[in-house]
Amino acid sequence: MIRNVMIVDDDKEMLLSLKEGLERHFDTFRIVTADDGLTAVDKLKEDSISLVVSDLKMPRMDGFSLLAHIMEHYPDIPVIIITGYGTPEMESLAREGGAVGYIAKPFMIEDLARKIVTALRKESEGGTLHSVSSGMFLQLIEMEQKTCTIRLVDKKTGKQGVLFFHKGELFDARVGSLQGEAAAYQVFSWDDVTLSIQNDCPQRQKRIHTELQTILLDSTRLKDEAASEEEPVSPSKSSESLEKVTQVAESDKASFIGTIRRKLEMEIGEKRGFDAIYEDSSWDGLVAEAERVGGFFHAGNLKLMYMDRGESRDLIVLPGRKTTVISVNNRCPRDRVVEVVSDHMSATNGGEP
Amino acid sequence: MRELFDDILSMSDVHGVMLFSVEGKLLFKEFNTPLIEEPETRNWWPIFIDSLSGAREVDLVFERSRLYVRRIEKGYLMLVLGALAPMAMLRLNCDLLVPSLRQVRLTKGLRQLFRKGR
Repeated sequence: MIRNVMIVDDDKEMLLSLKEGLERHFDTFRIVTADDGLTAVDKLKEDSISLVVSDLKMPRMDGFSLLAHIMEHYPDIPVIIITGYGTPEMESLAREGGAVGYIAKPFMIEDLARKIVTALRKESEGGTLHSVSSGMFLQLIEMEQKTCTIRLVDKKTGKQGVLFFHKGELFDARVGSLQGEAAAYQVFSWDDVTLSIQNDCPQRQKRIHTELQTILLDSTRLKDEAASEEEPVSPSKSSESLEKVTQVAESDKASFIGTIRRKLEMEIGEKRGFDAIYEDSSWDGLVAEAERVGGFFHAGNLKLMYMDRGESRDLIVLPGRKTTVISVNNRCPRDRVVEVVSDHMSATNGGEP
Repeated sequence: MRELFDDILSMSDVHGVMLFSVEGKLLFKEFNTPLIEEPETRNWWPIFIDSLSGAREVDLVFERSRLYVRRIEKGYLMLVLGALAPMAMLRLNCDLLVPSLRQVRLTKGLRQLFRKGR
């Protein structure tokens, strides 16, 4: 697989000469450029970057700040620092900050290329597996109490994800700029992956507090729901939707339901009081009427309806291509539940693909 | 009638109140700020009220505002609200208001409309 290497430098001539000089390694990596730290931060969100080479002194956001940002949000991405003002103290600071390499200008482009290739090889030092289902393999990692970083590529969508294990414990996950449990759920929903193993784990912060088994079981359930409830969605459409909704909501309804369920679990916990989430077109008439009334008051799009019918269960009706209903206990924290679901609907443009 | 709704209308982010008969006839309305268009110009209110299927309370959350619909003995009360209206307090106020609406002396016109709803 061809990796993306991002070079960050405010010196345009330097940027151009590095890009040209490194192009001969096109069979190993492709060059992406950014002319300062802030542009690099944006590109990290958009592109699947495997390694960053950064200058230290830059306007808007310098190399140290960029390094800190990468260590916080993309700890699996190695950073090589290049600088024209190198001192042993600076090198020491860069290494302490997490940089895997440090090169003082001027340098030979081939020296940098060697460092890049070495760092990229580390990604798969523990081996690469093709066309596997992640579930069984990850349980093995847990049993063997391995400390490692696993990079996965979903063969269906081309999406890349990273899992961080410390002594067999799932510490964190990342898909694009999405981190933690939400990213783990997304990775575990992939059926056919290629994965590579790095024998260390740069992530020190534990962001996932749910047992691996629980996440795996829940993802399996969501996949089953998707298989039984969903109409097929083309991979390209699915990939596009994932980008649009910051990778939280899947492009299919079952994942939408799963996302809402998880959101309520995370935000409200045991008091969430819901017992079922399902599609129900019998509310379409009321949704249409409510939208008409909302239009009269210039209220904007309908996000949800909370209905108390005087029964033990209240209903939250979510409009969309298919109307979704959440059945909740009437003793649930109603305003909080409405707030969480409403925020979710706003964040996902109505939650619909 | 207006004074019954004074407490509710004076709460923050409450734009107005509408009272409907069971059949969806608009019996009363009061708004803090004038509407662009009068509700009476629309004839679909009965369809909306009918679609509620007798629900006790319905909270409609839109992008920019909210509608809170509450079943009363002889019809429906609808509050037109901003997105930041204090919902729990409003529900409580409606709980207090519902018995008063039962005892209200209706004008002849309102009495006839309510009677139809029986």
